Amino acid sequence: MAEREGKMDLEALLGDALRPIEPPERLSGRVENTLSAITEQAAADLQSWATELSDSELESLRDPRNWVRPVAAIAVGGAAAAGLAVVVAARNRRRRPGGIAAVAEHALRDLRRS
Amino acid sequence: MTESVPGPPKDPAAKAELDRAFEELYRAHLRDVYSYSYYRVGNHHDAEDLTEQAFLQAYRHFDRARRESDGRPLRPWLIRIAHNLAANYHRDRSRRPEANIEAIEPPSHPHDTEQIVAGREELRAVIRRLDDLSEERRDALIMRFALDMSNREIARALGKSDGATKVLIHRAIRQLEELIEAESEPQEGSADG
Repeated sequence: MAEREGKMDLEALLGDALRPIEPPERLSGRVENTLSAITEQAAADLQSWATELSDSELESLRDPRNWVRPVAAIAVGGAAAAGLAVVVAARNRRRRPGGIAAVAEHALRDLRRS
Repeated sequence: MTESVPGPPKDPAAKAELDRAFEELYRAHLRDVYSYSYYRVGNHHDAEDLTEQAFLQAYRHFDRARRESDGRPLRPWLIRIAHNLAANYHRDRSRRPEANIEAIEPPSHPHDTEQIVAGREELRAVIRRLDDLSEERRDALIMRFALDMSNREIARALGKSDGATKVLIHRAIRQLEELIEAESEPQEGSADG
């Protein structure tokens, strides 16, 4: 038993007192679900965005400078509003986004929230 | 206005690879982030929230962190995120009594910690006295003993040099020792008198 006999004993006590804590199983599911929702939402938004683009818009998409920001905005918005991600994703599934304007508005709204 | 917001990679294959790497990181360090969060906030509910936020932030910046880490382990970076979130948590709650480490109730731990800690008053005394240390010293000890982090990892998580971290841990242990000794001395005296 370690009792005030020096540093080594205290370190042993600290090792016992500060044992790693196993996260509850529900936490794994919770984090994974939220991350999935974020990536799915971003993918869905981008897909609907891409399908409604004109040829010239598609052409401009090939320049990364034109699409890094919207993608980043969606990711940032999604991460910051993590609690809302599932709700937003469900809403988007029900009500298809109205083209690029809707996606841009959505991204901006999320950015403002973040 | 152009802002340098980190985003996912453009190439779908690269994105898939990034997600796989993040999942690996997540699985490898979920317990570390949770343990750290738990010892910082003192209850499971807030520790879960903090852990989730930490991984969401990490996901957001993972691509860049991986590039800039140059192959070094990312655990210190993850713990630093949790560290900053915990600091915000305490700042936000500063108007209310802080849920500090002293609030930790070992018997409520879901696994073997319960058997180890329950009934061992000396361990409770250690946890109690930890709360008397500065936040930085307490943090360093949590990282060292709960997460088994090396001096170098702790240094990176706290944004300090290796040497300063070594001194920090040494002083934290010495102060804790003195606090525990000071706590036990009057009890011995009063038992005789």
